[in-house]
Amino acid sequence: MIKNLSIQDLRSRGQELLDERVRAITAGLGLKELRAVLRGDPATERPNPRYRVHITSFLFHIRPRYYEKASTWFTHTFRLGYLSTLFFLIEIITGVILMIYYVPSPTGAYGSILELQSRIPFGSLLRDLHRLGAEAMVAFVALHMLRTYLTGSYKKERSFTWLTGVVLLLVTLFLSFSGYLLPWDQLAYWAVTIGTSMAESAPILGNEVNLLLRGAPDIGAGGLLRFYLLHVVFVPLLGILVLSIHYYKVSREHGISLPARIEEGDIPKEAKKDATQRIDYLPNLMTHEIFLACLVIFAIVVMAATFYNAPLEHHADPQKTPLDTKAPWYFLWIQGLLKLGDPALMGIVIPTLVFALLFAVPYIDRNPYRMMSRRPVAVALGLLFVVAVLVFSYMGTPQWGIETPAAVRIVQDLAPEEGIGPLRAIPYDQLQPGVYEVGVTDPTTLPSDLGLVFVEFEEQVQEAEEAGALPDAQAVMVIEDWQADLKKVTPRIVWTDPESEEQKTYEKHIFLHLDRRRGE
Amino acid sequence: MGRTQLEILFGLILVSIAVLIIIFVGFNEEDRMVEEAHSQHGEAIEVGAELFETNCSGCHGIKGEGIPGLAPALSDAHFFTGRVQEVGWEGTLEDYIISTVSVGRTVSTRPELYVGGGKPAMPAWSQQFGGPLRDDQVQNLADFILNWEATALGEVELAELPPPTPGAEEAADPVVRGQQVYSAAGCAGCHAIEGISNGVVGPGLTQIGSVAATRVDGVSAEDYIRNSILNPNAFVVEGYQSNVMPQNYGQQLSNQELDDLLEFLLAQE
Repeated sequence: MIKNLSIQDLRSRGQELLDERVRAITAGLGLKELRAVLRGDPATERPNPRYRVHITSFLFHIRPRYYEKASTWFTHTFRLGYLSTLFFLIEIITGVILMIYYVPSPTGAYGSILELQSRIPFGSLLRDLHRLGAEAMVAFVALHMLRTYLTGSYKKERSFTWLTGVVLLLVTLFLSFSGYLLPWDQLAYWAVTIGTSMAESAPILGNEVNLLLRGAPDIGAGGLLRFYLLHVVFVPLLGILVLSIHYYKVSREHGISLPARIEEGDIPKEAKKDATQRIDYLPNLMTHEIFLACLVIFAIVVMAATFYNAPLEHHADPQKTPLDTKAPWYFLWIQGLLKLGDPALMGIVIPTLVFALLFAVPYIDRNPYRMMSRRPVAVALGLLFVVAVLVFSYMGTPQWGIETPAAVRIVQDLAPEEGIGPLRAIPYDQLQPGVYEVGVTDPTTLPSDLGLVFVEFEEQVQEAEEAGALPDAQAVMVIEDWQADLKKVTPRIVWTDPESEEQKTYEKHIFLHLDRRRGE
Repeated sequence: MGRTQLEILFGLILVSIAVLIIIFVGFNEEDRMVEEAHSQHGEAIEVGAELFETNCSGCHGIKGEGIPGLAPALSDAHFFTGRVQEVGWEGTLEDYIISTVSVGRTVSTRPELYVGGGKPAMPAWSQQFGGPLRDDQVQNLADFILNWEATALGEVELAELPPPTPGAEEAADPVVRGQQVYSAAGCAGCHAIEGISNGVVGPGLTQIGSVAATRVDGVSAEDYIRNSILNPNAFVVEGYQSNVMPQNYGQQLSNQELDDLLEFLLAQE
């Protein structure tokens, strides 16, 4: 027997065994075929085993076997739907890991985030990734909707798909917003207080909805737990369900839309034939999708590892309303609306109408054509909508329409309640104790960074004085040695109130510790 | 190379770089975590300093130097070397601070030092015991107070400001100066004036400027207040005990300070 055994035999026997295993795992692709798939070569066997995979393998079964060529053009879809789903997946993975360390109670939540950042290896990176992924998901979902609108891909058989897409937009927004509350910092607490108080002002069931969301008249332990459960269980499950329907309709029922000019444009027959030829999912499109996933992972890892830091403000304090409350960027438009009038109308009625309008788009727009030139009104209205959202978002920023007393503003700009700001960015050893008076102290005698900040302070005070906001302004900046490694900085502004002619003083005590991080 | 091969190539490269970055981050994690913990501790001290200023400095002094007859120093050597043994506390100084701040103290451990025999000695500050502070704030306060150790033991010298802060001395208005005396002399620790202080040990002074004249027949508001500061037991408001307010303000305050304080209190109407 041993005589008959040659190396060649062993090798081919081994290859056969391996081939068999590979076929079992890939649900039908042999070793040679797998190689061809990865290299982008044509199929090695007949009938094409790549089609069989779509029947035998679950993951491939839910993917279409082919797409029409034009529907895969990058500039047609920009892969926005795929990217939204990808970010959803990233959120689920990072989110489940974060759940290990998070404690959903007002006494434990903030501490658990501090622990995550200071005691858990990769904790900070994980939080940054989760936060970054959330922001990106909102952005991509919104852009996906805009693209679908502009290419008219919501018409006829796609109208229900559009509807599920709007539900997914709401799911995304709610997921992002409910995640906002969980760190239980000032940012979280006040954003959600504003958000749920809008619900409270709703005309009919406002009070009940508010109570249901918060678990109590004010947001506290009950509210945090509710938002946590909504964030980690209920809304993701709803999202997965609706996403499945959304995806099923796209992949099984009507496919990705063709560019409108291919579908209804006046193009030569050959060009049309070329544009609608089938492109197999395996191997090219799969490779492309995996490539996009690699690109996204690369991009968010680079961002999270370098400049991006998920913000964390001070511990939530119901007694202390922050000076600048700011909604997350995707809700700035609502904050802008709120500045215009009655909260029930601006915060509830109008946003509800906006989303109702989004839901109804395919049912209102009965124009059968998809090309932009054949639906100018729809395109113009869409662009108007985008511009309106951008304008209202700008109006929602704290800079717009909120009058802060000049002295308070100057000091807030110098050393904001949250975040770093110019004063906190000064290197600790440059904070040399002394009394520095605007108009008296020569900034060039100060250490460089301190000098620059002092000049900024000086300019702002003088500007406000000239503008008449702070008549006869006198301003000092006092720096004191307070404890070992702790300085106290007191900016103080004294002015004469133009109305009462009384002397007013505003000052703030800012403490700076050597070890506190001085950059973002 | 076709597009598929290019995508495979670049995909592999990008993922490899991402993995390398994660490994690189991993190598720095130890240092980063230490730095982060320091930064968090620094921030806790900053927050604690603000809390101390608003809640504790009225009785324990702006820089924790204590106010004779009212509350002990927290920034002297004794506090860091002998206090724990003195009261027979078995835990660490940090635990002692957290426990005392949280629960407060009904009876002073050194009654002979404080007016009124040190009863009540210190209110409870934790929300668990009816106070205004959350536990993380109590922890921040403890971090801040513990940070006095280096200066208390003489390991670190703090730079003194050359001249006293302007504004404190230069305020032209006696009422403004009076308010500074009001907080510096510790009045704010026991008395409440709406929007300025919220002590509960002594009677509220929110309307003292108008009430003072009605307290004792034939005594003007000014005389009544001056008398009550210098000789607190001369007239004690109903519901409050005598011998609680320090009786040495006559020695502590200069005439100018006393006049300013008077102007300030008369202005509370």
